[in-house]
Order: sequence, then C-alpha cells, then structure tokens
Amino acid sequence: MGTNELIDKLEDYFDLSKKKQRKKHDKLVKIIHKLEKKKSRLEHKALREKEIDATSSRYHDVERELRVISKLISKAEKKDLDA
Amino acid sequence: MLSRVIAPLLFLVFAWFVVSNNDARTIIAGVAIFLIGMHYMENGFKLFSGGALETVLERFTGTTPRAIFTGFLSTSVVQSSSLVSVIIISFLSAELIGLTQAVGVVFGSNIGTTTTAWLVSAFGLKIKISAYALPMLIFGVVMQFSKHVSYKGIGSVLIGLGFIFLGISYMKEGFETLKEGLDLAEYAMGGYAGVAVYILLGAVATVIIQSSSATMAIIITALATGQIDYINALSLAIGANIGTTVTAAIGSLASNQNGKRLAVAHLIFNLVTALFAVGFIYQLKDLVEWLAPYLAIPAGDDTMRLALFHTIFNVIGVLLVVPFLKQLVNFLETLFRDDEKARGRAKYLTPEVMEIPATALAALRKETIHLYDKSVEAIVHAMNLHRTEIFSDAEIDEVIERSTSPIKINVDEVYQSELKSLYGEIIEYASMSQTYMDQQGNNEIFELKQAARKIIEMVKDVRELQKNLNFYSKSHNSFIIEQYDKLRAELVEVLRIIQELRENDFDEEDVLTRVEVEKVNAKEREIAQNYEVDALIREHKIDSHSASSLINDITFAQSISKKLLTCAETLWVRDEEMKELGDEYGYE
Repeated sequence: MGTNELIDKLEDYFDLSKKKQRKKHDKLVKIIHKLEKKKSRLEHKALREKEIDATSSRYHDVERELRVISKLISKAEKKDLDA
Repeated sequence: MLSRVIAPLLFLVFAWFVVSNNDARTIIAGVAIFLIGMHYMENGFKLFSGGALETVLERFTGTTPRAIFTGFLSTSVVQSSSLVSVIIISFLSAELIGLTQAVGVVFGSNIGTTTTAWLVSAFGLKIKISAYALPMLIFGVVMQFSKHVSYKGIGSVLIGLGFIFLGISYMKEGFETLKEGLDLAEYAMGGYAGVAVYILLGAVATVIIQSSSATMAIIITALATGQIDYINALSLAIGANIGTTVTAAIGSLASNQNGKRLAVAHLIFNLVTALFAVGFIYQLKDLVEWLAPYLAIPAGDDTMRLALFHTIFNVIGVLLVVPFLKQLVNFLETLFRDDEKARGRAKYLTPEVMEIPATALAALRKETIHLYDKSVEAIVHAMNLHRTEIFSDAEIDEVIERSTSPIKINVDEVYQSELKSLYGEIIEYASMSQTYMDQQGNNEIFELKQAARKIIEMVKDVRELQKNLNFYSKSHNSFIIEQYDKLRAELVEVLRIIQELRENDFDEEDVLTRVEVEKVNAKEREIAQNYEVDALIREHKIDSHSASSLINDITFAQSISKKLLTCAETLWVRDEEMKELGDEYGYE
C-alpha cells in the first residue's frame, strides 16, 4: 500500500465524510419518500374536492398544500443531488 | 488566614513529605495517576456517549426500582457517580424526570460506585494490569487525533483506563516496598474505637482526594499488601462513603435548588447507611463470611470480601431508605422551595452540563421554548388577547370580539425585567457550550440562538404595534378597527396552529408542511390586507395618517407571524435535514 493510499484510508477512517454523506443521502431519500406519500394522498383528496366544488375554499386549501409539498420535494431532491 | 498561611504551610509539609519519603511518593503518585485516569474517563464518556447515557437515564427511570437499577448500571459502566449526578440534576432542572426518580438514580448510583472495588480487587490486584495500561495509553492517544468526537471520546476512555490501571499498579508497588521499612498494620486498632478512628480517616482521605473510588483503590491495595487490618479496612470503606457525601454537599452549595435537593438526599442516604454499617459492622462482617463461598470468593481473599462488604452495606442502605422515599422527597421539596420570583431567570440552563453536548442542547432548546412562551404571553397581552381564549374552541371572530378592552401591560418593562436577562443567559450559555460541540451541535446552537433573537425581535415589533392598536381601538372609525382586528385574528390563527403542532405528536413532515403552508397563507393575507387598505384610502374611508400607521402595523404583524412560524420550525422540527427544507430565507 502506497503512502497516499494509506493517508486516504486514514482520512476516510477518521473524517468519516463518506459515511456522513451516505447517511445524509439515506435520510433525504426517506424524507422524499414520506413527502411523496403525503403528496399522493393529497392528490386524491384534491381530485375528490374538485369533483364536489372546484371553487370551494377546501379545494384551494388542498391545492395550496400540494404546491408546498411539491416545492419541499424538489428542494429535497436538489439537496440530495448536491450532496 | 487559612488560604494565606495555613494552606501554603500544609503544602510545604506535604511537599517535604513527598520528596523525602520514596515509598509514600510512589503511593501518592499512584493516587494522582488514578485521579487523572478518572478525569479522562469522565470526559471521555461525556464525548463518547453522544447522548446515549442521557437517553438511558431519561427513558429508564419510570419507576423507583427502574431508576435505582438504571443509576446502578450507568454508574457501573461509566465509573463516575459525579457524571451521573450532573446529568440527573440537569434532567431534574429540565423537568425530564421527577425528584423521586432522580433520588432513585442517586441511590442506585451509590451501589454502582461499589463496582470500582470489585474491579480493583478482582482484576487490579490479580493480574499485572500495568501491562495493559501502556497499550491502552498508546491507542487512546492515537484516537485523540481523530476528527470524530466519538473516537476522541473512546480515546479518552482508554487513556483514563490506562492511567487508572497504572495508578493502581503504582499504589500496590508503593505499599509493598513501604512494608519492608514500615508496617502500618502495627497501628491497627481493634474494637469500636478502631472503627471510629478508621471511619474518620476514610472520610478525611475522601474529602481531601475528592473521590471515593480513589480512596477505595488505596484501601484495597493497602489491604492486599497487608498494610491494614481487614476490620479497619471495612471502617475505612464506611468512612469513604461519608467523605464522598461531604464532597457532594460542598459542590451543591453553588448549585441550583435541584442540585441541593439531591445532595441532601445523598447525605441522608449515606448517613443512614453509615450508621447502620457502624452499628452492625461485626454482623455485616459475618454476613460477608457466610456469603463469600456462594460467590466463589476464595478463602483468605480479604480484598474481594471488602468489595462484597461495600456492596452489601450500600444495598442495605437503599433497602432502608426506599420505603421512606415519598417522605424524603416531600421533605426535600419543603427544604428547598422553588423561587417563584425568579421570573427573568433561566430554568433549565445548568452550568454543570455545559460540557455534555446532547444534554446542553436539550437544556438550550427547553430554555428557548421557555423564552418563547414568556414572549408570547407578552405579545398576546399587548394585542389585548388572552391565551385561554386563543387556545379555546371558540371561533377566531368570537375570540376577537370578546377581547376588546386594552390589557394593561408595559411591554418595555416586561422586556427589561424578564426577557432581556433570560435572552442574555441563553446567548451566554449557547456561546460557552459551543466550544464543546461538534459541527452538527454548533449548527443546532446557531439555529437556537437565531430563534431566541427572533423571539426578542417579535417583542420589539409588538411594542410598536401596541401603541397604535390601543389608540385606534378607541376610534369611531369602524373600518380602521376592523383592520386592526384582522391583525389580531392573524396572530390567533398562527398561534393556534403552533399550539396544535406542540400538543399533538405529528410526524415531522406534517409539522413542516403545516408551518410552510401557514407561511404561504400569512404572505397571502398580507398582500390581501394591503389591497384592502389601498381601497380604503381610495374610497376615503380612512385618512392618510391612519393609513400610514396601519401599513406599518401590517408589516409589524406580518413580521411577528413569520418569526413565530420560523421559530416553530426551529423548536419543534427536530430532524436537521427536514428543517433545512424550510423556506426561511426565500420567505424572508
């Protein structure tokens, strides 16, 4: 094993940056999954509300929540990519 | 007088004694190395546990037997009753556990300290532990170079163990060579006079050394080398138990009420235990003799018999005191009452836990929530609202209608007398504890500091708003009154959502989504209200002076809502990754 390789291995061992990255990725995937599940529930709800009355405040509330969740998902995905 | 003349004189005598007496020097060096080891072990566990010790102590103390067992187990593992006590005091202050559980943990911790005697007598004297000490020191030092806090912690624990082993080895060596020139066993004293003298010696030694574990190590090594008599060693062990109480009592003088309560509980426990042990020392000795063969303790092994005696009399102490635990807790609560007047003081920030990252963070979070609650109280009163109404089932319009008369509150005065000092304590504590945190801990502290700053800014915002609110509430112009009522309704809405999130155990993603949705709602309400004000100006329903005040106050009210929601995210969304998804910067 060369000196550089040894130093890399020691750095990996002590710094644990890769382990941290993997942990962060796993966490973000979990969050995205949870948010996606919530989004799909809300999409069903939005459809139902739209069928009842597309001008109702209930429908608009669900729509707003959907927009927020979609934004959160795309932020989480971007963070995962950056990481 | 004491510090100027007697203390230096005593130090000189001690120095002369150390320099002139070779054997005593080896023993004292052993004690010193042992104490350094204890110090490293304690610091190592603070870093290495990463909150595990705190989690165990918080979760497994539901009933008294569990609290006692947890106290025993945690002290046996970390080998430091003072570390366990410090964490317990901080939990008590943070109201994470009750006084009954805390006292239970302290009792269990007392039994846990007796494992030191078992370790020293079973391993320290039977095998050449100094041979293990050096590799431990080497690996411990290597691990200190790690960037990771946990590895540093493990390194410190290894260094600690290495020094403890080395210390025991030095003590043993010192006593063995001392025996060749001076036989301390010649000074052995029989009967109850001997018991009293040796109890006093044990107590004084522990007060001086400030560690009952170190005293026990000395007693066991001295006993192993035949320098002291067995019955005198038993008396010394009782004395060490009393001595440690004195150390804890002195330490608690500077502590808060909870620290004092636990110190007195500890004192009472140890005095009862010591009185019992003294009264029945010969019967306890017989009990040890009877039990020893069942525990595979070889005949003639006095050091392990001493360890057994130490454990037995502490267990009996627990059995004697536990039936009166309720009375003891009542007595302690009466003896040290909570200071109700300390309104502007921190409730949860105990300096003793500043070096324990997870506990310091939990305390800081609790204190920031305390600041939040006190500030919200001032804010809602300044807006002529009552929290009971806000958090009732009534419709928001009803709440606003019912709360029209101005509430007499001087926000400036509340800020100066209660909030400013509390905020100052949070900032100081956060800055001090930051030095012991890793990157993630530092990030969390930074967020909590930001939240505390926002809370204070909200109070300053409401101070400006209150003047106009009270002025226009007496106005005959129903349009302007309606607009100010909208601002109050906005506050009620936001506070209700935050309260709902606090009271219910929602998933983190639900909390974040609710807060983010409410941020969007608040933004939309701000835009809509500004349109309404424009219309009122155009239709000459409000004059320009009122309009300018109203526009400013809409900004203040919106600023309060935004800050409330941002603080809610910091305080009640725990997952760092989840929290980072919050739209704070884009939103502001």
